[in-house]
Amino acid sequence: MDSKFLFFVARRAVNAVITVILMIALIFIIMHLVAPTPEDLARLYVGPKFPPAELKLIAQRLGLTQPVYVQFVTYVTGFFRGNLGTDTIYGIPEILVIEEYFPVTLNMVLLGTLLGVLLGLFTGAIAASNRNTPTDYGVKALYLGTWAAPPFLVGVVLQLFLGYGLHLLPTSNVANPVLSVPPPVTGFPLIDSILAQDWTYLYSWTRHLILPAITIGLISFGSITRLTRATMVDALDKDYVKLAYMKGLGQRTVVWGTAFRNAIIPIVTLLALTFAATVGGAVIVEYVFEYHGIGFFAVQAAYALDYPAILAITVIVGFSVIIANFIADVLYGIMDPRVRLT
Amino acid sequence: MGDGHTNRLTRFRLFKGRQRSPSVAVPDQAETPLGETSGIRFIVGFVRRDKIALSGAFGIAIFIVFSVIQGLLELLGGYLRNPSLSYLLLPSDPFTFHFGLELAPPSLANFPVGLLGYDETGRSILSRILYAAPRDALASILIVVSAIVIGMALGISAGYIGGWADEILMRITDAFLAFPLILLAIAMSLILGNGYLVVLITLMAIWWPTYARFFRAQALSLKSRGYVEASRLSGLSSARIILRHIFPNSIDPIVAIATLDFGNVILTYSTLAFLGIGVTVGVPEWGSMAAQGLSYAPRVWWYALFPAIAIMAVVVCFSLLGDRIQDMVGGRISY
Repeated sequence: MDSKFLFFVARRAVNAVITVILMIALIFIIMHLVAPTPEDLARLYVGPKFPPAELKLIAQRLGLTQPVYVQFVTYVTGFFRGNLGTDTIYGIPEILVIEEYFPVTLNMVLLGTLLGVLLGLFTGAIAASNRNTPTDYGVKALYLGTWAAPPFLVGVVLQLFLGYGLHLLPTSNVANPVLSVPPPVTGFPLIDSILAQDWTYLYSWTRHLILPAITIGLISFGSITRLTRATMVDALDKDYVKLAYMKGLGQRTVVWGTAFRNAIIPIVTLLALTFAATVGGAVIVEYVFEYHGIGFFAVQAAYALDYPAILAITVIVGFSVIIANFIADVLYGIMDPRVRLT
Repeated sequence: MGDGHTNRLTRFRLFKGRQRSPSVAVPDQAETPLGETSGIRFIVGFVRRDKIALSGAFGIAIFIVFSVIQGLLELLGGYLRNPSLSYLLLPSDPFTFHFGLELAPPSLANFPVGLLGYDETGRSILSRILYAAPRDALASILIVVSAIVIGMALGISAGYIGGWADEILMRITDAFLAFPLILLAIAMSLILGNGYLVVLITLMAIWWPTYARFFRAQALSLKSRGYVEASRLSGLSSARIILRHIFPNSIDPIVAIATLDFGNVILTYSTLAFLGIGVTVGVPEWGSMAAQGLSYAPRVWWYALFPAIAIMAVVVCFSLLGDRIQDMVGGRISY
């Protein structure tokens, strides 16, 4: 932890904060572009069921008649205080709805991304070390198949075969709906059920988690396989790999111990992108598996014309992607010291 | 990316035994990032010798040519108010109900109308899949081209000008990159009204950040090349340097990314259609057909499966070709 590294982290942190503010500004601009008058804006905030006269009053009460820059400052400070608007369906602050649904999704997405990353690293390394053999082509066929398939197809096929066909795993819901949910302490079902020592719920939740997580892993591992294969092919041509062979190390040691460890560094940057893609992809996975997380809620909100909800979810997911990007940047800095100079 | 082609460059030079000397102004061609192994002609020549990539290219060609003709016919049919014109090429009318054929399974009986089975109102699924093709083709081409144009303008100016302009442009790019595509498209279609155009505009507005980052990296690495410095010393304006040197030399590697991206756009578009975003009621669309078909699955497997396979086939074609082009421009031709 030298000062240079701290400076690097601080710089990235400042960048992340600026990016968050810019992102909120973008949402703000978009809202003001599609709803140029205070009444239109008020309609965005409270939903479509009020007559124009009432909208005028609501606009005044929400401060939407103020100058744009005042509204912008209110909006940004509101975001950092956790004020994302009020849900038009539930009538409670948006942040409470998100607090309830987002951890469920995050749990699933993180596990799915982890699966995808492990699968991608493994298959990519195998393909690179067996270049131009049937194994390589097999890996390529596998990832092309899952990557090119529309995400809902992957989910539905898994659901049909493993769920309805073989009756191995449950096909919908976060856990068995008969069980009572453990008291929300952190919001994450995993931690909550462990804290409450509710092992039945934990077991049910784990079984329900498997299919969505596998789906997310399958639809996201292709890009990691491709990058791993490319960097591994480069790494296997390097002099230090030849030296390792000359030292008399076996192929397995060289591939996994030498080449692989050097090749995975650039993949860290892809992790954040994968995370971003899978949080977005969670919408469709949750829709297929009726997994009641933020994505499922977003689709329901869209059908119910709940504008504040969908905007709040967009902002929160964007925010979490920026955080993931920041973490990936710092990790990259730890793993590859050369990056800290830039 | 940058690393990839520097590697290749050094390897290539090693191979030819030519030394790189930054002090000598070399003619442009010799110092392009891709050396002699570049250019559309080379790519075409290479693809021709590679059966897998060739089949991908063949599939794409069929998809694009069919979509253009079919799309023009659909436009013409709409313009002349003569719907029969829009299904001139299709095996059957994709809109007329045929009661008695509801959810009939695929058969060779009424070839090729019944080849992929019928939907819940007895319309041929094959016809409906073919009718939907132009929308996907138009979406992918428009969105990728607009992403390249926007990304190029922002990325090259950020990389070439540097300093504060770079910082600001890259933060904006990061902010756009953070947006969850599907959620934003849902929000937009909710606020602006559900339609094809809204989805197109949203995707166009948000698809460019990866291209901006890529062009920026290219511009940064090209900026310090000998021939760019030489032209700057000889008094060329920045605009001319960007147009004459930076842009032509960074467009080649983009071909690979863009080819892969066509598939991504189609996937995203069909995912949105699956959720009912950006589709017009009654007009066939691959994603929405799959969604409707799912309510009859698994007994009526053909209704959901064939539209999904249509999406998959197109995306696989783009991936096969794009993968191989990427291998070439990234320098891994050692196959």
